[in-house]
Amino acid sequence: MSPMKLCVPGERLCSTEDCIPGTGTDLRHGYIFATLAGYVLRKNEGEELPVISVVRETEAQLLPDVGAIVTCKVTSINPRFAKVHILYVGSTPLKDRFRGTIRREDVRATEKDKVETYKSFRPGDIVLAKVISLGDVQSNYLLTTAENELGVVVAHSEAGAQMVPISWCEMQCPRTHAKEFRKVARVQPEYLQA
Amino acid sequence: MPFDTRRIRGPEESQSPLLFLSPDKVPEASSRQGVRGNGDVRPVFARCGLVSQAKGSAYLEAGNTKIICSVYGPREIERKDETDMKTGRLVCDFRLAPFSCMKRGAWIQGSEERDLSATLLESLQPGVCLHRYPRSQIEVNVIVLENDGSILAHAVTCASMALADGGIEMYDVVLGCALGQNGNTCLVDPSHSEECGSWHEGYGENRGCVTVALLPNLNQVSGLNADGEMREDTLTDAVRTCLDGCHKLYPVVQQALTRAVKRKAPPPEK
Amino acid sequence: MAAGFKTAEPLEYHRSFLKENCRPDGRELGEFRPTTLNISSISTADGSAMVKIGNTTVICGIKAELTTPPSDAPNKGYIVPNVDLPPLCSSRFRAGPPGEQAQAASQFIADVIESSDLINMEELCIEKAKLCWVLYCDIMCLDYDGNLLDACIIVLLAALKNAQLPEVTVNKETDLAEVDIQKKRRLKISRHPVGSSFAVFDDSIIIVDPTAEEESLSTALMTVVTDEEDRLCAVHKPGGTSLSGEKLQHCINRAITRNKEISKLVDKVIGSMKATK
Repeated sequence: MSPMKLCVPGERLCSTEDCIPGTGTDLRHGYIFATLAGYVLRKNEGEELPVISVVRETEAQLLPDVGAIVTCKVTSINPRFAKVHILYVGSTPLKDRFRGTIRREDVRATEKDKVETYKSFRPGDIVLAKVISLGDVQSNYLLTTAENELGVVVAHSEAGAQMVPISWCEMQCPRTHAKEFRKVARVQPEYLQA
Repeated sequence: MPFDTRRIRGPEESQSPLLFLSPDKVPEASSRQGVRGNGDVRPVFARCGLVSQAKGSAYLEAGNTKIICSVYGPREIERKDETDMKTGRLVCDFRLAPFSCMKRGAWIQGSEERDLSATLLESLQPGVCLHRYPRSQIEVNVIVLENDGSILAHAVTCASMALADGGIEMYDVVLGCALGQNGNTCLVDPSHSEECGSWHEGYGENRGCVTVALLPNLNQVSGLNADGEMREDTLTDAVRTCLDGCHKLYPVVQQALTRAVKRKAPPPEK
Repeated sequence: MAAGFKTAEPLEYHRSFLKENCRPDGRELGEFRPTTLNISSISTADGSAMVKIGNTTVICGIKAELTTPPSDAPNKGYIVPNVDLPPLCSSRFRAGPPGEQAQAASQFIADVIESSDLINMEELCIEKAKLCWVLYCDIMCLDYDGNLLDACIIVLLAALKNAQLPEVTVNKETDLAEVDIQKKRRLKISRHPVGSSFAVFDDSIIIVDPTAEEESLSTALMTVVTDEEDRLCAVHKPGGTSLSGEKLQHCINRAITRNKEISKLVDKVIGSMKATK
């Protein structure tokens, strides 16, 4: 097998008649150009034409986008919303932290008016959430946990031990057996090892 | 002069020893003859990915000119009023290390550095796909460790390499080349003494410096900076010569970038 | 998800390594990162050096200028060290005037120069009460991954050893200085101060040469500076948790062996430069 072709930004890769532009490329005047320095990858994905993309060691720097599942850490809470730092987009860690907000009405899907943020999150919790909006100039990314799979995945009790989820709204401390309220995410098998 | 309490202060005044050279011992400016032709750029050494903390970085050496650049981001804009929902923001900081010039520079950023920062930003901006980074900012930091001429041109090249090394999407790399015109002779990629030389002789016709930034694949000029006074035809020729100089750099930049890609990760599975 | 654990619970992540007497980068608790030294790379400076400790990179350029000696010490010159942490070296620093850490580092380096007798200040005087040298030692960090102070001390020492000053005479008739840059002399560096930095985890575990992440997670930081005759020049412990006398002695002993290693490195690099000239 010949070594994989490498490219730098601006290089013309091929015509649109040969490929469909994928990530790390830009379309101009009927040609596909690279926008990243990386390996040129052609993949057949069932379409007529292969998809051409440029890949490098980490995926191209992702920014939290609408619909993306993000992992975040709660930094502060008040009765109206919880503030978080976004740590991951999907499984890609962010090098710089972005701030997000989970509003009271976005914590869960049902009985929204009864939500109490203090009974849903605590500072330091690791939360799985979904981006619903990039916010506006004045606000941060808006996130939601109103799905069964979203919510707190890691939390520490007041005694400092990592708690075990016992229901969708409670977690228990293995040391003191004290129960604390959280909006718990349904545990997915692939996260069990964490 | 504002009182600087945040640094260790020396005496109020001091002079460079170069001001006290006995007149008969002033070293002569070395001429280019034999070393390199007037149209030649200095051999360039470039490497990417040296700053571990940065998203992307590059180091460039051309003759004695040494420039390091790091790129951070995309990250959240700290000041809310500067956030743009549709596109990203590019920020450049250009600094000359205090020991980089013949005369020691100040720590506080001078007007020259601010001008260079602005010009660098203008030259890089057209090359970066900023619309892919809404409401975030990308920071480019350049430090000149040693100034031996043509710093702006080399900073442009170095910064665009750092951006590409950081995986920031770009329409094209940006290459810079400078030229010093002195009467009828034109020197490509002038060294510091060649840059200054023409000014020491005083005002003259057709004398100046030109810096061009080029997007080589798009064949577009993203930055053009000309000082001094030049005839129209001379300036046109100068720009053309600079464009040739930029193209000569392209293989070096290409090689440094692909090497960095290979070093970071083996080719992905097909 | 190992990477996830690292980002989400960095302290727990580090503790899990320390429990096994090792560190996330594979080092033992008492192990320094590889240290390399490069000198004379900046030709516009009168003396220069670059030091790398692991990823941490600092560069020092010395510019010598002429001035009048201080009025309270007419037979001495000046050394003006400044440490800069530009935004280039890490995302934690901002452009603009030096932050707290840079100011503290500059002052610390100035204190080490004074307390260690690194150089005889009288050597910098050219003519009493009239003319002397001021050495501006500008230290810039190019890559910040912890242990800035150790790197700064080594780079300063090497740059001073590398520095060459032109010969200056005062013309008797005109009373003006005359500089001959053909004739240069080196400085006499009488002492060899070397620093060793430590980070304390959970009040009891001590690690040497902390990375930026270890620094930010630790409960206390300490730097011990000794000279080549095993004398203490400075101990710097800005706050943090307390430390027993026994542990402190352990740190000082480690600093003494570190001094030997670094002195050897500096001598070797300076020596090789002289040999090639």
